[in-house]
Amino acid sequence: MKKHSKNVIFRILEIFIIAIWIFPLVWMVITSLKYENEVVTRVFTFLPQNPTLHNYQEAFGSTYILQWLINSLVISVVTMVFTFLLDAPIAYAFAKIRFPGRNILFWVVMAGMMVPFQVLIVPLYLQFTSYGIINTLLSAILPRLALPIGIFILRQFYEGIPTALEEAAFIDGAGRLRTFVKIILPLGKAAATTVIILAFINAWNDFLWPLIAISDSVNYTITVGIANFQGTHGTEYAMIMAGAVIASLPELVFFLIFRRKIIDGIAMTGLKG
Amino acid sequence: MIPGNKDTRDGILFSLPFMIVFALFMIYPLVFGFYISFFQWNILGTPKFIALQNYLDLLKDERFWSSLWHTLQFVLMTTPVLLILGFIMALLVTGKSPLKGIMETCFFVPYIFSMTVVATLWAWIMQKDFGIINQILRILGKDGVSWLTSEKNAMWSISIATYWWTAGFNMVLFTAGIKQISKEIYESATVDGAGPLQQIFHITIPLLKPTTILCLILQVIASFNVFGQVYVMTGGGPAGSTRVLVQYIYETGFNYFRMGYSAAMSYVLFLIIMVISVVQYAILGRRND
Amino acid sequence: MRKRLIAIIALIVLGSMMIFASPAKEKSAETSGPIELKFWSLFTGGDGEFFNAMIDEFNASQNEIHMTNDMVRFDDYYTRLTTALAAGTAPDVIVLHQARLINYVPSGTLLALDEYISDDMLSDFQSAPLEACRMDGQLYAIPFDVHPIVMYSNKALLEEAGVSEIPQTAEEFLAAAEAVKEKTGQWGSLIDNTTGTYKAYTLTRLFVSLVNQQGGSMLTDDLSAAAFNNEYGYNALVNLQMLVNEAGVNPNELDYDAAMNMFKLGEGAFYFNGVWATGTLEQTEGLEFIASPLPPFMGKSAAWTDSHTFAIPVQKNQDPVKVEAAIKFIDWMTANAHLWAKAGNIPTRTSVLEGAAFNELPYRADYAAAVSSVIPNPPTAAWGEIYETLSDLLESAVTKNEDPATALNNMENTVNEIISHY
Repeated sequence: MKKHSKNVIFRILEIFIIAIWIFPLVWMVITSLKYENEVVTRVFTFLPQNPTLHNYQEAFGSTYILQWLINSLVISVVTMVFTFLLDAPIAYAFAKIRFPGRNILFWVVMAGMMVPFQVLIVPLYLQFTSYGIINTLLSAILPRLALPIGIFILRQFYEGIPTALEEAAFIDGAGRLRTFVKIILPLGKAAATTVIILAFINAWNDFLWPLIAISDSVNYTITVGIANFQGTHGTEYAMIMAGAVIASLPELVFFLIFRRKIIDGIAMTGLKG
Repeated sequence: MIPGNKDTRDGILFSLPFMIVFALFMIYPLVFGFYISFFQWNILGTPKFIALQNYLDLLKDERFWSSLWHTLQFVLMTTPVLLILGFIMALLVTGKSPLKGIMETCFFVPYIFSMTVVATLWAWIMQKDFGIINQILRILGKDGVSWLTSEKNAMWSISIATYWWTAGFNMVLFTAGIKQISKEIYESATVDGAGPLQQIFHITIPLLKPTTILCLILQVIASFNVFGQVYVMTGGGPAGSTRVLVQYIYETGFNYFRMGYSAAMSYVLFLIIMVISVVQYAILGRRND
Repeated sequence: MRKRLIAIIALIVLGSMMIFASPAKEKSAETSGPIELKFWSLFTGGDGEFFNAMIDEFNASQNEIHMTNDMVRFDDYYTRLTTALAAGTAPDVIVLHQARLINYVPSGTLLALDEYISDDMLSDFQSAPLEACRMDGQLYAIPFDVHPIVMYSNKALLEEAGVSEIPQTAEEFLAAAEAVKEKTGQWGSLIDNTTGTYKAYTLTRLFVSLVNQQGGSMLTDDLSAAAFNNEYGYNALVNLQMLVNEAGVNPNELDYDAAMNMFKLGEGAFYFNGVWATGTLEQTEGLEFIASPLPPFMGKSAAWTDSHTFAIPVQKNQDPVKVEAAIKFIDWMTANAHLWAKAGNIPTRTSVLEGAAFNELPYRADYAAAVSSVIPNPPTAAWGEIYETLSDLLESAVTKNEDPATALNNMENTVNEIISHY
């Protein structure tokens, strides 16, 4: 059975590739369970000799790590919802409504995609200071609401929805808003999933802006908190890895639950509506 | 199209919520930043108008050019590999293997982790003295490698971490593209006697061109904006050899507080990304015709 | 589907509650009880533990003031501080490196402290570190410590190599390092020369020290140009290069953390770092070391140094009660700096320096004596960028063994270009 043995080789190869790809994560967990003196040593051990949760206790005890997770969650969820609420109507307008200046406006918005965020930081910081909302979660949310790529994805999808469906609604006497809510939004659910997932991931992983905008450690996001945790623990690798595990666990759980939705959602980016 | 055409009014109404936010948090700061780029300003004192001096200075700033070059290096080192890696992964997860579901999950999972976690993790794995790669090398009787502390390796090491982190994203896009190719094309190819490799080269790759272009555009923009991995893993070192443009912008702006200069450089970066994207869009446009 | 919708809505509600609830929390704390003061610190790693312990002790020592401390990692500290100062959202007390004062004082963001501090308190301070905090005749900060670069030597390795005296000249140092390498198989010296968590600051610190030891200086007297592209700079650079390259007694591509770890593990005989490493090294089991002021390798005694200082930011509505409380805090911290000396830092008040608690600690008295030969930081706003950039250039020159004359030319040009921007 030549074919059979070839298959076995392929499976082994695949398992090997999976193992390599997943190994960094395994190593992160293993390191976090060791004592520091077992990590910084020339005597290499793979598995922890005395497995310990000490690093986790320390991480929870000495920082606001739980609070940071909640902050990140709040920021990400709020950003996700409002991004969609802002993006969907304008994407619909770009796709289906013929109004003067539409094309120019569209390209202006798309150009926003290419703006390096560093350009905006100083002006934004001064702006938010004058509003008196610097150092609040709100300040971490607002600049991230305008997500041009979301508009791009939604517009592509909405363009593919047959105009006949809309016209039928108009004939029934529905207005724009009603048509949008009753027909376009339900049909565009797949694209909507993509946009909210992208918005969520973007917000969750945001680093530079919250680093500058938020100065009280209670209000840190998890990315900023972990960077700070790492910076203040220098070479305590086991401790740093414990922090990394805590920071990534919620993401991992979130991903495993919505795995299909997330992957299919991102796949949408590449498909024409 | 619609009786009593209200398109203009509707168009404006539907665009308005986004445009308000966009104007407040994108256009306004953008214009303000441009304005700042004509000043010498340390954020605390009074800005001093120096016209185009910042732009002239950066033309002869050796660190600006070297940072730009490092950024370009990073783009060139990551983009092709990430596309190929994503494509190979996509082939694996669209094949007949019973493990394809697990593979898809595993390949994609790094993408959901935040940059700080990924960069910290890889900095630890590649740590020169106690990192696992070098520990294993030493057990095998070899010398440890200066992954992050040697000029010839550092940018590659950052790239490796980036491959691991974002290849899964490209995989998903390619997978979607592959799934759209009709089964019949492959079936008829099999009938004609084409082997799996021939099918990949003569069917899959040509038909994936649109997906590839999309991946390319997204990847180039993302790579040009690289900052976090470098900042956490090498801090721009050794000897500034991995300092990328965004990091230099950040340093001049937020370590040395030369706000005007920093703003001027970010506008140059903006311009570069804009030009590259427009060129790419032009290619994309030709495909659509 | 509906369930998920409910969950999302619940999260949003929760979220908005949290956003708006957080300021409310602060308000209720302010109405009664002790005065709440906010403080940002940049002390990390070993230093951080000692500092946090001090804050705890301060809070426990009285019930009038309650200090909350946010530890910010060093890389981000000045970024955050400066943006906060620009926005008027800085905390009540801050810590600043003395070398950085010049970046903040001219813009009027720091409170002049003269009228708030009693002469009694002032007269207790050592004059050099105190005067370094004075600009245009006004006092803008209070020195908390002085932290020069010092030399740490591993006792066991030196004994094994038959080195009985701590080397005092560059030649003696090289001979000792070579002896260690030959007889013990470990490294002679552990000077970090590559960017890791930090840049190769140690190279800059040593370069500054060596140039000054020969009677040179980094910048011209009027601070308008680089002044190290001469034989002083050449000797200093060649010596640093030689240890790594020709002599091979110092590992190449060694970063700060690795150097510290290797010294802790007994893998090198001499190690150079600021006094702040002392406490951490003392806590390392199985490590016996001697700490000594930087030897006069190239002539006279001179060592790079900096100083942590406390300052009070100018607020839009400065609350005199808080200023007074902040001064009390600063007074307590500096007067109890023997606790801070546990980390290795040198106190600035005579009463502490002469006190028993400080003198019981090993080496510290020697350090204190060395304070007389520290090199003041050039008072120019450009120094921060020069210091960072020189670390990159020296790293390149040492790790790649570049031609010293070319490297020095390049360093000089870069420094002059930087100065022209300020």
